[in-house]
Amino acid sequence: MPVKSNYVENTSPMFSILSPSQCEEILLAAQEVLERTGVTVHDEEARDILKKAGCWVDGILVRIPSAVVDRALRSVPKRVTLCNNRTGSRDVHLEGYNAYFGTGSDTPFTIDPYTGKRQRSTKKSVSNACKVIDALPNLDFVMSLGIVQDVPLLISDRHQFEAQVLNTSKPIVTTAHDIYGFADIIEMCEIMAGGVEELRRNPFMTLYAEPISPLQHAWEAASKLILAARKGLPVVYTPCVMAGGTVPATMAGVLTQGLAESLSGLVINQSTREGSPFIMGGVFTIMDMSSTIFSYGSPEFNLLMSSLADLAHYLKLPMFGTAGCSDSNLVDEQAGIEAALSIAMTALSGPNLNHDVGYIEYGSTSSLEFLAINNDVIGMARRLVRGIKVNDETLALDIIHKIGPGGHFLSEDHTMKHFKTETYYPSLIDRQRYESWLESGSKTLFERANEKVKDIIENYEPDPLPKDVQQKIRAIVERSEQKVVKS
Amino acid sequence: MSNYYEEISQSVISGQLDRVKQLTQQAIDAGIDPVEIINQGLILGMSVVGARFKSGQMFVPEVLMSARSMTAGMDMVKPLILSEDIPSAGKVVIGTVKGDLHDIGKNLVSMMLESAGYTTINVGVDAGPEKFLQAVKEHKPNIIAMSALLTTTMLSMKDTIELLKEEGLRDKVLVIIGGAPISQDFADEIGADGFAPDAGSATDLCKKLLA
Repeated sequence: MPVKSNYVENTSPMFSILSPSQCEEILLAAQEVLERTGVTVHDEEARDILKKAGCWVDGILVRIPSAVVDRALRSVPKRVTLCNNRTGSRDVHLEGYNAYFGTGSDTPFTIDPYTGKRQRSTKKSVSNACKVIDALPNLDFVMSLGIVQDVPLLISDRHQFEAQVLNTSKPIVTTAHDIYGFADIIEMCEIMAGGVEELRRNPFMTLYAEPISPLQHAWEAASKLILAARKGLPVVYTPCVMAGGTVPATMAGVLTQGLAESLSGLVINQSTREGSPFIMGGVFTIMDMSSTIFSYGSPEFNLLMSSLADLAHYLKLPMFGTAGCSDSNLVDEQAGIEAALSIAMTALSGPNLNHDVGYIEYGSTSSLEFLAINNDVIGMARRLVRGIKVNDETLALDIIHKIGPGGHFLSEDHTMKHFKTETYYPSLIDRQRYESWLESGSKTLFERANEKVKDIIENYEPDPLPKDVQQKIRAIVERSEQKVVKS
Repeated sequence: MSNYYEEISQSVISGQLDRVKQLTQQAIDAGIDPVEIINQGLILGMSVVGARFKSGQMFVPEVLMSARSMTAGMDMVKPLILSEDIPSAGKVVIGTVKGDLHDIGKNLVSMMLESAGYTTINVGVDAGPEKFLQAVKEHKPNIIAMSALLTTTMLSMKDTIELLKEEGLRDKVLVIIGGAPISQDFADEIGADGFAPDAGSATDLCKKLLA
C-alpha cells in the first residue's frame, strides 16, 4: 500500500449559497435590527421574562441587546432528537446537515383522491393523510396535512392530534390554536410516552409556533414559546415572510429580518429556561407582485431556504425547512418541477426538518398523490447526496481488466454486490419500455400515484395505539369539547 | 387643454408623483375644471393602471406608486370643489378580525380599493364585532370588509354579522370577507354578501355589489 497524503475526499456533494463571512454579516445585521428597531411582544409574561433577561422594554416594544442574543445562542442545544411515537426509537436526529422530510399542517383544503375535487380538510382526510405518510418510506415525520374543519373549530387542534396519533407512529410536529390546545396535546403525549419525564427524554413530538412579520410576536406565539420551555419540549419557530410585502424585497434583507424574528423568538424561549430545545424555522419567500401569493415554488424560495440553512449551520441551530411544495393549483408539470427543485436543493443544503411536502396551490391545498410522487423525488435526492465513493473497490480496476474490451459486467459478482446500493430504484417513476407501458394501461405518473394512495388508504394498517391509551386520548378530546359547549 | 388630461393620466400610469403634482398645478392655474382634472386625468389614468394590473402587465408596487401619484393630485384639487362633487366609488370600512394580527392582505385590499377610487376606513387588526359596529355607526360605509388568516379567528366574522343584525344595521351595509381559509361556501354560510380571493377581485366585488 502506498502512503497517500494531501488527499481530499467529498463523502457528499458540497453546496452552499453563503460564505461564513456572509453568514456573520447577516447575523450581526439581525442583531442590529433587534437592538435598534426591536420587536413587539403581545404578551405581558413574555415581556417580563425579556426584561429580566436584560432586554429594553418600552410598552409592547422590546429591543434586545446583542449580548442577550449571544447568550441565547450559547444556551440552546445544537441538536434535537425526535422519536417514534409507538416505540420511542430515536429515529430523527436534527443536527448538522441531516435532512429529513415530512408534510405540513395548515392547508384549509385537500384534494379528495376518490373524486379529484378540492374540499375542506376533515378529520377523515387528516386520518387518511397520516396513514399515507406512515406508509411512505421516505417521509420521516408527520404534520397533519390539513386543518380539521368538521368538528367545533375552537378545539379542532385536539381532534387533529388524535387523528394523527391513531394513524402514524412517525414523529409529529404539531400545531395548536393556543397554549390551552397545546396543554391538552402535551397531556395526550405524556400518556403515550408513559409520563412527563419520559416524554422529555424521548420526545416524539415538537410544538410549532410562528411570529407575525414584520417583527411581531402575538400572544399565541410568545406564550407557546414559554410553555415549550417550561415543559422542556422542543418548539419550532417559523417566520413566514414574503419579500417586498412583510420584509424587504432584497434577499439579504429577507434573511436579516427573518433571522431577527427567529432570534427574538429564541430569546423568549431561552430566557424562560436555558437549554430548552429550539428549532429555528423559516419559510422565506417572495410575494408574487402580480397575484400577491406567498410563493412556494419560486427560485427565490429555494435560494432563501438554502441560504437560511447555511445560516443555521453557521449558528449551529437545528433548522426547520420547507420543500416538496408548489404554487400550481393542481398536480401538474409545474408542481413536479417546483417540488423536484426544492427537494434537491434542500437535500444538498441540509436543513434538518423539512415540511410541506405535498402542498399545492401556494400552500392552501394538499394532495396525497403529490405526496406519493415526492416520496420518489426524496429518494432520488437522497441518492444524489450520497455522492460517489472513490476507492479501490469502486474504481474496479481488476473487474475492468478482467472483462477487457468487449464482454459485459452483468454476471459479475462485483455487479451483483454493488448495483443495488449504487443505484436508486423509485416506485412510481416510470422507466418501462414503451410497449410495457402501453400494456400496463398507459398510465400517467399522477394516475399511478392515485392508485398507490388509494391502495394505502384501503389496505394499509398503521401500528395500533394500545386501546387504553386510545381511550385516554379520546377522553381529553371530549373534555375539551365539553368546555367549548359550556363557554 | 385636453393634453393636460392626457399628460396627467400618463404620469399617473407611470407613477411619477412629482410630475403629477406639477401638471395638476398647471391645469389648476390654467383654469381647468377641477372635477374634470379628476375624472379625465387622475382617475382615467388609474383605471388604465387597474386594467393593466389585472392583465398582469403591472405589478403591485407599481400600482401603489400610481395610486400615490393620483392621491397627490387629488389632494391638490379637492379643496377647490364641493365635497359632494368629489367623485368616490363608495366607502368601505376594512379590518382584520378579532384575535388576528395578520394585516398584509387587508392592507393590500385597502390600497387597491383606494386606487380604484373608494374611500376606506381602516380599523386595523384584532377588530372585534363592536369595533366594526362602531365604525359603521360613525362612518356609514356602503361596505364592511373583514379579513382573517386563521380558521379560529374567521369565526368572528359571523359574530360581527350577528351584531349588525341585532343593532338593526345589517340591511344598511354590505359585508364582504376574505383571507386564506375563507371560501364562497363560508361566506354563504355566515350570510356575508360576498367573498373575494385577492385584492384585485375585492375591488371588482365592491364594484359589482354597488352597481
